[in-house]
Amino acid sequence: MDVFLQGPDRLLPYLLVAALLFSLGVVSVASRRNAVGYLMGIELMLNAANLDFVAYGRFRGPEPAAQSQVAALFVIALAAAEAAVALALVYAVFRNFRDVDLDEIRTLNGD
Amino acid sequence: MNVSALLFWPVAALTVSGAIGAAFARNLVYAALALGACLAGVAGLYLFLQAEYVAVIQMIVYVGGILILILFGVMFSRDVLGTSSRPSLGGRFLAAAAGTAALASTVRLALLVPGLRGTGLPDVRSPVDSWIGQISTNSPFHLGSLLLDAWLVPFLVLGVLLTVVLVAALGLVRKDAA
Repeated sequence: MDVFLQGPDRLLPYLLVAALLFSLGVVSVASRRNAVGYLMGIELMLNAANLDFVAYGRFRGPEPAAQSQVAALFVIALAAAEAAVALALVYAVFRNFRDVDLDEIRTLNGD
Repeated sequence: MNVSALLFWPVAALTVSGAIGAAFARNLVYAALALGACLAGVAGLYLFLQAEYVAVIQMIVYVGGILILILFGVMFSRDVLGTSSRPSLGGRFLAAAAGTAALASTVRLALLVPGLRGTGLPDVRSPVDSWIGQISTNSPFHLGSLLLDAWLVPFLVLGVLLTVVLVAALGLVRKDAA
């Protein structure tokens, strides 16, 4: 009950949410056959890592917790860049194959 | 009893349920919308962590930008409803095993953090309720001075990288590209 009432002021709930987000991202990456669904899983994992960055900076880092937030901002910027390139790739694949199902694209597969 | 404790758990539940929807919804449009709920929930968690600037950037870049890109990308899929793209049994087994392993290892690592369960070490540095209404030490001013001081070189590299990414994305979608 104590932890329940102090939820936002303790480290553990954030770590558990981030753990759930990360493993759901892993499940998404492992099970999706669509390239866009795959990308969503990657975004989930990046968000989990970001949440850990900010949570550790707030509860365990030096007092103005700005360092971890700058790291989080860098991750967000890199995620945006990655999404732009990934969507451009999806578009290029779509133009060549008329679909973005990752299991159907096997031109280099040899069979 | 404080307000932030009441608000915290619904936000955390929204985040996790959005992630569940993003991972398991067969309809890709629903999955993208659930991902949006999850990203907004993460922005809410940033607010609880006193990282308001990161929360705002999260809403603008993720919910306003990346999510829209993903929704555009969904339109490239021939099978948006997911009727024929069910993963095979082996694929499901692999996904379940990988997810369980990831969850077990991350939770185990989280529980290894020193001082997490003991009541002696104070997790509570400054409770959220005592901070509301005060000027934050994590203001954009601090973040900006860090970016132009300790993080200057990564900041410049990031600028170059974003330019390269812009040109590369344009090159990939060019009309006469392969």
